[in-house]
Amino acid sequence: MNKIITSVVENIRTFTDVTTVFFIGGALSHRDTAYPVIGMSTNKSLFLKAAFPRAPLNNGIGRYVCQLQRVTLKFCKNNGSSRGMRDFLENDLLNFANENPGVVVYVKPRRHKTPVIVAEYLNGDRFWHSCRNYSREELLKWMEHIRTQAGDMTNVRLRKMWHTSFPSIQGPWTPWTFKNPEHIFAQYPNKEFGQAVQYKPTATEELKRLFKEQQEAKAVQNLTSS
Amino acid sequence: MSIIQRSQQWGTFARIWHLYDAKWQDPYLSAERIKMYLMGLYKPIYHPLNDCGDHVVVINSYDIALRGDEWRRRAYFHHTGYHGGASWTMAWEVHKKNPTMIMNKAVYKSMKGNLQRRYSMQRLHIFKDENVPENIMQNISNQIKQLRPVPLRLDEIPPQEVAEFPKLVKYPENYIAQ
Repeated sequence: MNKIITSVVENIRTFTDVTTVFFIGGALSHRDTAYPVIGMSTNKSLFLKAAFPRAPLNNGIGRYVCQLQRVTLKFCKNNGSSRGMRDFLENDLLNFANENPGVVVYVKPRRHKTPVIVAEYLNGDRFWHSCRNYSREELLKWMEHIRTQAGDMTNVRLRKMWHTSFPSIQGPWTPWTFKNPEHIFAQYPNKEFGQAVQYKPTATEELKRLFKEQQEAKAVQNLTSS
Repeated sequence: MSIIQRSQQWGTFARIWHLYDAKWQDPYLSAERIKMYLMGLYKPIYHPLNDCGDHVVVINSYDIALRGDEWRRRAYFHHTGYHGGASWTMAWEVHKKNPTMIMNKAVYKSMKGNLQRRYSMQRLHIFKDENVPENIMQNISNQIKQLRPVPLRLDEIPPQEVAEFPKLVKYPENYIAQ
């Protein structure tokens, strides 16, 4: 185990000795200082921050910048609750670090404590997650989650729960969607487009129809009699 | 955001100019229809917090039609704020003074309880006849359908057509008193 950890130290910027661990997570994140504590007259801090899911600076359009800055993996070398974490460190951490050169990875062993992941993001968010009794596969999943999210969204109330599994191909609606092009290029005021819809024939039309029927009946009668 | 997406955004939130011919139309029923366009209620993107109302140009407001004898019966109330400042004006009198006022008030009243109605009303342009300024007319790209067909008066029909109109029943010569 120690051997593997030391090899990790050589390859990535990792500190195995407790006394030399350089841990940045102690600083207050921006959210802790968002509202004044003394003389607080609002209860805003009691409520979840409301937000939309968004990509910072149009991330992913044209270029992608990984929003994860650094991740700290804390674990115990002896305790059973860290077993999955140790498996992960032995097998998968090097791949993770190689595939993500922009992410600083810290590994911090500490005696008889629950394994923990702490991730820090470009927007100042700090995401803390307990990995007690997690298996190696679960940790792989969580590391992927941490790597791909743009910030800590756990303390956020989503303003809208809109979702689609099938995004529109033809694009969002515009006033000209499903519109007859004749209406756009017509001369206005236009009598044809503006007149009311008639569902029933008018009395005049009905009278003309009756007259036509009468004439036809007369013609037939004349034919049969002659 | 790419140029295509940006123009898509402009397209979705573009304000359309609609035309409505108020000739022989009930102003109070027409107001309900005009309201749909002024507030953008017909759009699938509609949301109360979404500023998506359109412009509506109403022409021929002089030729609106009130039901029954409402021209004589319907009173428009106004109060100056001073004692004895209340006044009730009959609809025909209001219409004589300002042929756009009844239409305007009808649309305003139809949006009662809506905080945005003063801003929606700014997008309503009423003209007493068909003389609309060119800069307004060139914006129009849609015409709202009228509610009722416009009746045709007998003196508007050419006399030849009247003479040729089919007669189902043959009335006696002295049926119509000359």
